[in-house]
Amino acid sequence: MSVIEFEDVRHRMPNGVVALDSVSLKVGRGEVVAVVGGNGAGKTTLLKHMNGLLKPSSGRVTVFGKETKEESIARLSRRVGLVFQNSDHQIFSESAKEEVMFGLKNFGIPPGEAEEKAGRALEYYGLADLAARPPLTLSGGEKKRLCIAAVMAWEPDVLVLDEPTVGQDYPSRSRLFGVVQGLASSNRTVVIVSHDLEFLWPLSPRTVVMSKGRVVADGPAREVFMRTEMLRDAGLREPQLLQLSRRFGREEPFTAVDQAAAWLTERGRAN
Amino acid sequence: MAHVMAEGFKFRYLKTPVHGLDPRVKLLMTAMLFALALLSSNLYQEALVFAAVGVPAALARSLKRLLRIAALSLTFSLMIFAVNMLFGQPLLESAVITIRFLGIVAATSVFFVTTSPDEIEYVMRWFRLPRDFVFAFATSIRFVPVLMMDLTQIIDAQRSRGLEMDRGNPVRRIRNLIPVLIPLIVNALVRSGELAEAMEARGYGAVSRPTSMHALLMKKNDYAALLVLVPAWSLLITYFLGLL
Ligand SMILES: Nc1ncnc2c1ncn2[C@@H]1O[C@H](COP(=O)(O)OP(=O)(O)O)[C@@H](O)[C@H]1O
Ligand SMILES: [Mg+2]
Repeated sequence: MSVIEFEDVRHRMPNGVVALDSVSLKVGRGEVVAVVGGNGAGKTTLLKHMNGLLKPSSGRVTVFGKETKEESIARLSRRVGLVFQNSDHQIFSESAKEEVMFGLKNFGIPPGEAEEKAGRALEYYGLADLAARPPLTLSGGEKKRLCIAAVMAWEPDVLVLDEPTVGQDYPSRSRLFGVVQGLASSNRTVVIVSHDLEFLWPLSPRTVVMSKGRVVADGPAREVFMRTEMLRDAGLREPQLLQLSRRFGREEPFTAVDQAAAWLTERGRAN
Repeated sequence: MAHVMAEGFKFRYLKTPVHGLDPRVKLLMTAMLFALALLSSNLYQEALVFAAVGVPAALARSLKRLLRIAALSLTFSLMIFAVNMLFGQPLLESAVITIRFLGIVAATSVFFVTTSPDEIEYVMRWFRLPRDFVFAFATSIRFVPVLMMDLTQIIDAQRSRGLEMDRGNPVRRIRNLIPVLIPLIVNALVRSGELAEAMEARGYGAVSRPTSMHALLMKKNDYAALLVLVPAWSLLITYFLGLL
């Protein structure tokens, strides 16, 4: 069963820009889907249709079988949690704990239970020690995890992340990767928007490529990332490990630097 | 809603005879319209004010935008109307006062709809206003669209966290603004701090008399505009003042 379904969706902005054009897409339960594409491809616009922030100009978006036109944003957000790119556009509380409590209170979860859920979310995302800290004083990586925790706290069925790796340093990136991997292995439905193919490569999820408001490719990352021309037209570049594999004419691409290094050492020895 | 507002305030350069005028001429024209709007004292004169504002607005292909701005000030106008009625003004008087306010809003908007922040900056410099003041003013105007974009993104983020802005009683609704206003203000402060540093890094304030790339020059069409504006305005103002 698909949890989110786009049927021939078109979205026209008030200024006339067509940000989505003939988009058809199904996200199944427990699936991890990456949406990639260059700047202005329509990725964020696509995401905003998933919880009803935007409604299609024509076509249909259905979430858990209900058309988004007939549902409130709040009701949809209860099941589809969106985390936007810029953490500073949502942080406002006096403490990290309260930041997480905000959504829980909005969805009417009783105080005791909310408290408990918030505590659990902070713990899970490695923020337990920072619960009392004003969130504005946290680092970029901590803020990002706080924003994810603040959404995951109410346990939405689907998590949607918009460009989570932008502006994140190496340790935060790898923690973030751990988070996404954890969600994937626990059979959560995750939609992750990114133009950071390096980040996605080790995960190799189903990948949807967008360009100029259209879906131009949809399939396993292993296959989609091989289509160099198509990627370049969409403003993307294949991951370096893939380039390296190609350079050495490997059928099966490298998935990790260590693996590539071992293979190259072996090859050097053989020559 | 916030999006509509963002669009309404964003300056967009259009290639029209009005946009192309010297900003000083546009300022003079706006001042004239403003004076007319201020001095109008009956519905008939107010109709003339709207016609006088409408002509340059139509020439600037900006009637729709002007109407949108007027619509935004409508709530405020209705408040003026209600207050006037409460204090025992007759209906007609209250209507005249309210429409006069709308006329003033429309007249002032003509300038901002047709003049870019850059041009506003040149005019202020031409008036020899202090440089720091001119810079601060021009920058705050330039920042309005940026803040509006921030605002829409913040609203989207908080609505995705279950915030229902227009639900509940009036007290609740005001409290609903907190999660929106705090990030907006914090971002604005951070950004202005960054801007100050970037400006200093590029030598702002290094010399007391910096040179300027732009000089305001009156062209033929500017003189032509004055030739139409001044007599037409003189006629109207004499009539408005009851001297005709
Ligand atoms: N609020 C808006 N008003 C007008 N145009 C917009 C708005 N938001 C996005 N767009 C336009 O829609 C297109 C897609 O934008 P977006 O979905 O943000 O792309 P991406 O997230 O892939 O970078 C772009 O051309 C962008 O300029
Ligand atoms: Mg985007």
